[in-house]
Amino acid sequence: MASARSRGAHIRSNVFAYANLAPYVFFVLFPFYFMVVTSFKSNAELYNLKSIPFWIQTGPIMDHYALLFQKTDFLTWMKNSLLVAVVATTASVVISILAGYSLARLRFRGAGSFGTAVFVTYLVPPTLLFLPLSQVVVWLGLADSVLALMVTYPTFLVPFCTWLLMGYFRTIPREVEECALVDGATRMQTLWKVVLPMAIPGIICAVLFSFTLCWNEFTYALTFISQSAHKTAVVGVTSDLIRGDIYFWGSLMAGALLASIPIVIVYVLFLDYYVSGLTAGAVKG
Amino acid sequence: MDQTALRSIPRRRFLRAAAGAGAGMASWLALRKAPAYAQKRELTFLSWNHFVPAADDELRKQAEAFGKANNCTVRVDTMAHLQMPAKIAAEAQSQSGHDMYRTASADPFLYENLLIPMDDLVEKLGKQGGGWYPFAAESCQTKSGWKAIPWFWVSFPGTYNMAHFKKAGFEQPPKTWDELLKMGKVLKKQGNPVGIAISHCSDAHSTYWSVSWSYGAKVLEADGKTPAISSEKTAQVIEWYKELYKDAMEPEVLSWDDAGNNRFLLSGKGSWIHNPVSPYNSALANKQPIADDINHHNSPAGPAGTHSAPPNLSLGIWKFSKNQQLAKEFIAYLFQKQNFDAWIVASNAFNHPPLKNLADHPIWARNPKFAMLPKEAEYGHPRGWPAKPNEAVQRIDDNYVMADMVAKAVNGMPTKRAMDWAQEQVALAVKGQLKVG
Amino acid sequence: MAVGPRVLEATGLPGPGRLSRLREWWEQEHVFGYGLIVPALVLLATLVAFPFGMAIYFSLSDYWVGSPGGWVGLQNYRDILANETFRQTIQNSFVFTGIALSFKIVLGVWLAMLLARNLPLKRVIRGVVLLPFVIPTALSTLAWLWMFDSLYSVVNWTAIRLHLMSAPGPNWLGQSTYAMAAVIIVNVWRGLPFFAITVLAGLMAVPREYQEAAEVDGAGSWSRFWHVTLPLIKPVLAVVILFSTIFTFGDFNIVQVLTRGGPINTTHLFATLAYQVGLQGGNLGQGAAISLFIFPLLALVVFFQLRYIRKE
Repeated sequence: MASARSRGAHIRSNVFAYANLAPYVFFVLFPFYFMVVTSFKSNAELYNLKSIPFWIQTGPIMDHYALLFQKTDFLTWMKNSLLVAVVATTASVVISILAGYSLARLRFRGAGSFGTAVFVTYLVPPTLLFLPLSQVVVWLGLADSVLALMVTYPTFLVPFCTWLLMGYFRTIPREVEECALVDGATRMQTLWKVVLPMAIPGIICAVLFSFTLCWNEFTYALTFISQSAHKTAVVGVTSDLIRGDIYFWGSLMAGALLASIPIVIVYVLFLDYYVSGLTAGAVKG
Repeated sequence: MDQTALRSIPRRRFLRAAAGAGAGMASWLALRKAPAYAQKRELTFLSWNHFVPAADDELRKQAEAFGKANNCTVRVDTMAHLQMPAKIAAEAQSQSGHDMYRTASADPFLYENLLIPMDDLVEKLGKQGGGWYPFAAESCQTKSGWKAIPWFWVSFPGTYNMAHFKKAGFEQPPKTWDELLKMGKVLKKQGNPVGIAISHCSDAHSTYWSVSWSYGAKVLEADGKTPAISSEKTAQVIEWYKELYKDAMEPEVLSWDDAGNNRFLLSGKGSWIHNPVSPYNSALANKQPIADDINHHNSPAGPAGTHSAPPNLSLGIWKFSKNQQLAKEFIAYLFQKQNFDAWIVASNAFNHPPLKNLADHPIWARNPKFAMLPKEAEYGHPRGWPAKPNEAVQRIDDNYVMADMVAKAVNGMPTKRAMDWAQEQVALAVKGQLKVG
Repeated sequence: MAVGPRVLEATGLPGPGRLSRLREWWEQEHVFGYGLIVPALVLLATLVAFPFGMAIYFSLSDYWVGSPGGWVGLQNYRDILANETFRQTIQNSFVFTGIALSFKIVLGVWLAMLLARNLPLKRVIRGVVLLPFVIPTALSTLAWLWMFDSLYSVVNWTAIRLHLMSAPGPNWLGQSTYAMAAVIIVNVWRGLPFFAITVLAGLMAVPREYQEAAEVDGAGSWSRFWHVTLPLIKPVLAVVILFSTIFTFGDFNIVQVLTRGGPINTTHLFATLAYQVGLQGGNLGQGAAISLFIFPLLALVVFFQLRYIRKE
């Protein structure tokens, strides 16, 4: 009897939870559903005041997707985005691992202030920074190349990842490291063979976060890249599908959805790591 | 742990890392400098995404032909015009980027000392083409000479829905702003209001300049420094807007972007807007039946005559360009009659030539819906007229001072107070004058 | 017999030559420490500190795009404060950030608590909830632009059919209060997942025993939350609020795409006004001053928050 009652209570509590979650899920998914429907709707129906926004009454069309793939360099843009995201993320995570470990574990003068300084760089708005930065990019000879993005993206990735990994490294017991050192490992070896394997969830979390930020970045990609063949997905879609005062809504929505797919895949695969990565990093950070 | 293995691992790792870094550096350096022998001259041109994609295709075709004929490559990059200011600023700031680009409004004045003089080309093409329209000179000729060459202008006629007008009993579209007001009231009662943007978009100002000049009002005196917006005539303009907003328009005009009036007309609701031929062309492209009902008419007149502010685009060459002569030759190539004609056709009559001889292209005369458009050149002025489009004008335009002034008035602020606010904003804009030279 | 450097150090026996002396030097805590932060230091010094310095220089000089002007000290700051539009922008920024943050905090924590339960489909729901954060902002905001359109707004269409509004529904982007509401809604939509998932992570670190102990003690669920859960997630919450404040104050894309600062400058934020004045208008000096205006305040907030977090 007692188990049946608690089962009932359990089900009731789940239903209660679902009921509370429903508005959130609705709020979150509503625009996505709308984007999907719009990307398959014909223009005539889209601009018809009497049509129903949630349905496709005149039959779905593939024209918008076709335009995206045939008339624009969409696949090239996706490739560029991917390349930039992978390289910038790798570079940033490596730099952040080194800096994070150093600030978390090692004692030396100025560690605290450097940590704060790293954080303060976040306060500088990229909408202001991009102009002097464009000058630096030219001096480095990187104008109009994806290398410019690979070099500048770490500037906003490293601060957050460093902070995140700092928190994570602090959760690893000192004894483990000291054991390794006594055993004869160098500090670098300790980091590489002992600490890092225990910090994998945190590192994955940093990788996911960086990848997302790289993929979504707009201002630098707009300013430093000129040629269509070098553009990233976000810049390309907004640039080529808004012509004068005409918005190609169907293709824009199609582009937006397709451009999100890579990140969604990455997140779905690693979501558990993401959550557990933030746990230790956030609480102890 | 095997001690020898332990000691050797870091070294191997280090060497591998160093090799990787070295390769990275080497490839980076290699990508920076192209090998000297392979250099074919490359001319780069930054333009906007023409809303008729065929026009850009034609432009690229001509660029390729020019490149072949002159043993160089011409690269045309296009981007959304709203994103261009950021890009242009970055190029001006870093003194590197494209060789030439499509300038707009006051760019020749803003970047006067960063663009090369074009006087020789302007004169040559002017002679060849039967002379420039006056507003062309007004927008590109700075104190230190022509800094850009007018490329094309876009007519800003009244675009209206004939069916709605007919239903309301009007056989002819309005000839004056006053007529528009009267007709608009009837049309709104019918359920088809008119629409003029009163918001943060370029269309809002294009219309405002037009209306205010037609009533004899101005924003700056001819010296380009004295604010002149607070006046009896401006008050008249504001009152006109207020009445139009109340009786002939709907509140949505307060949130429009440049595409807002297009959507308004194409949805079938709107009866009249002030806009280039883009809605008609996109209706044709989307095979919407409303295209049959859309027509255009010359911009309405006012007590002080007919005036309009057609967007006027020109071509400028940066001083830091290494291909200045080549760029000038390319521009001359674009202006050859057969090339410019082809480009006009590709744009479906959207692009108007700033040279008189090129303006009698049959594409306008042939299509009754376009026939009246070339006339718009006769009463066009650049923004800021009677002052030259200097950086103060640019600031006033970019900060949407007049749109805000009208918006405040239609939202209930007394006309005089709205005008005083605008006068203050204009004075502020004039204060930070760019020092040239 | 190969012996590690530590042991050698301990016994004081000399190691084999220069390479080993280099290794010893490298093994010292402070040398290693400094060495590891060198890449980050170089990156941030050249690509952040230097441009930031230039930006400060812009704000203190009469700088126009491509035409460097002379030093004018704080004149730019005085000029922008004299302009009513800028004062309006300050108000807008605080209203926007204040309201958006409040919603994100309350809804974020609530959503996190819901997600922490052991529900079937929990992984799917967590993934779904993360979507607004994952999609590029520049593109998702365009979708919202269409959804708030004055004629075709699907928000209005739905609300009218649900009898929450009467036709034709408000002109979201054309009336000041509604426009501010619209940009806040989009900001909350975009930022909620980050809040929720981060707080969720913090919640999952709270041992169940605390919750169960409070339950056994007879505490109601609200009091359980307030007295047990909330104090335990305070560190996480503090960090997330800190980041979110910075991001929200500096928001650019949402306002730029939806309203461009209108109607009548009632939704202008620092970033959008700086763009309009500095880049479209060419006056970089003032643009930089606008962008940097809030920096001292934010730096203070960061400083105090970081101290608070470190103390915990």
